[in-house]
Amino acid sequence: MVKKLQGETFLLSANELKSGKVVFFTLKGWSSSSVEAIKIKVDEINKYEEISAKDEKKCIIISPKFVELDEEGNIKTLRDKIRNSGITIKI
Amino acid sequence: MYKYSDTDKKIITSRVKQFENQVKRRLEGKLTEEEFKPLRLMNGLYLQLHAYMLRVAIPYGELSSKQLRKIAFIADKYDRGYGHFTTRQNIQFNWPKLLDVPEILRELSSVEMHAIQTSGNCIRNISSDHLAGLTLNEIEDPRPWCEIIRKWSTFHPEFSFLPRKFKIAVIGCTEDRAAMLVHDIGLRIVERKNQVGFEVFVGGGQGRTPIIAKRIRAFLPKKDILNYLEAILTTYNQEGRRDNIYKARIKILVKELGIEKFKSLVEENFSKLSNKELEIDDKNIEEIFGFFRLPPLKSNTNQIPFKKNQEYQNWIKQNVIPHKIQGYSIVQISLKAPKKPPGDATSNQMIALAEISEKFSFSEIRVTHEQNLVLPHVSNKELFNLWNRLKIENLATSNLGLITDTICCPGMDYCALATARSIPISQKISKHFDNYLQQKEIGDLKIKISGCINACGHHHVGNIGILGLDRKGQEFYQITLGGSAKEDATIGEIVGPSFSENNLIEAIEKILNTYKKHKRNKSEDFLTVFRRIGIKEFKKDLYDNFTKKV
Repeated sequence: MVKKLQGETFLLSANELKSGKVVFFTLKGWSSSSVEAIKIKVDEINKYEEISAKDEKKCIIISPKFVELDEEGNIKTLRDKIRNSGITIKI
Repeated sequence: MYKYSDTDKKIITSRVKQFENQVKRRLEGKLTEEEFKPLRLMNGLYLQLHAYMLRVAIPYGELSSKQLRKIAFIADKYDRGYGHFTTRQNIQFNWPKLLDVPEILRELSSVEMHAIQTSGNCIRNISSDHLAGLTLNEIEDPRPWCEIIRKWSTFHPEFSFLPRKFKIAVIGCTEDRAAMLVHDIGLRIVERKNQVGFEVFVGGGQGRTPIIAKRIRAFLPKKDILNYLEAILTTYNQEGRRDNIYKARIKILVKELGIEKFKSLVEENFSKLSNKELEIDDKNIEEIFGFFRLPPLKSNTNQIPFKKNQEYQNWIKQNVIPHKIQGYSIVQISLKAPKKPPGDATSNQMIALAEISEKFSFSEIRVTHEQNLVLPHVSNKELFNLWNRLKIENLATSNLGLITDTICCPGMDYCALATARSIPISQKISKHFDNYLQQKEIGDLKIKISGCINACGHHHVGNIGILGLDRKGQEFYQITLGGSAKEDATIGEIVGPSFSENNLIEAIEKILNTYKKHKRNKSEDFLTVFRRIGIKEFKKDLYDNFTKKV
């Protein structure tokens, strides 16, 4: 998971196994809101990788990934922004 | 319409039970995601950007009202009240929960539907002409052949783990409305010396290496079709690359070997492997054809009602075409209403359409690869009533074949592979060119938009193709010109550097201005002009004096 990481600060995200919904790792566990997500420094990545691996094994989440933040602490890429805030179109 | 045999029913119900058990084991941790992924993919279940996505097969694009009602029910109960019709005549649900999928599959099986082989490296849903069986110039209805191939290919033990996915299309006349020439195998029903058979094409496809299929057989007798398909697939299975996903499709194999060498390998396998059990006799053919007979339509002199209503007249002109039985029409329903994602239908629209099809079209609905729907058998005298009914449901947009009738993949709004959004681009085009007269003046024009190089939005074969790219974190759009998915299939040429989202409409306007400037008469369409004058003129007009920096 860490191989392609660039940047300094990240959020840990995944999809919930049962529902598939996007979740972020917070102090209280996994949440569908990124607001309270823990901001992870690049040197803490290993620790959070272990957490996500455990929760994958416990069948709580799948497809964990680190979401890169920009200098202001906002989600950097458009893909991750859409993943966080939902589709950009009206149905 | 094909009706499941007892064996078909058994296969589908046992598959649901199997998958239910697999999901249970996954949730209990008895299967890892690595082990479960191929199993869920074999049942059409992907994990996308926001959620799971379930792709449901609509064999050769044919639906009954009962099936459409069931799809609407699933959309309401298990999803978010809508579904997305795809460029391979399937439907996708974008938000199902893993927990619910076995139940969704059970619901689908109750109306003879499933999601088997809508993903994975196997033979996918067989696609066809949405006007199959409805036009006079057809040699033979291709749907029974699609069904014969579907039966042969479902769970085929040798072809469940091919080097890559495999797509087959079958058409029954010269006109290609199924993009047959950009399929792994394309079959066209032809007649030679009073004998009906198949012209066989192989190695077409889009994605990062777009290729038009090559003819491998000018004429193949009907009885040999399954043996010949078996020979092609066996050759592909033996020779196709498995070491590089980007070089694994059959088109690469055909390209690397050359069509003559590939053909000789296929012919060798054909003579060696031909299996008497796969030969189809007239009795089998007749039996399958029995499922696809036209409803009892009586030829009559009913005319299309004339009404002093411009909107209705536009719709008749644009969306309605004659049926082969006099007195009836084929009604094409655009799923490209302004501000709506192309190909999407809400559950309310689906329920309404099911009811409409029962009242006006013998309970039959077709799905087109251009992400529209068709009511195949409508009495002329009912057209005004039907139009009024469709209008209430926002299903009477008069834009078939025009600039706002775009093909569009889900793009980065949904897809985990996409590099840019595509639906907002389609919506911008719809908004900018919303006037019907303006669209008519531009004439027949196919704009096709993909959110990445995998080309689910068929941009390579759009008259104007738009490909979304990621350039240093920004969405940019590359334009190709001159593509066609029809019988004159052509891969479009890249016109030059890509455009930002904000500049794209201006670029399209400039391209259209070049077309209008060189158009010789009212009926000369965009593609004809492009082929006559070439890309240079378009390029010059497009990039010289562009008002904003590209």
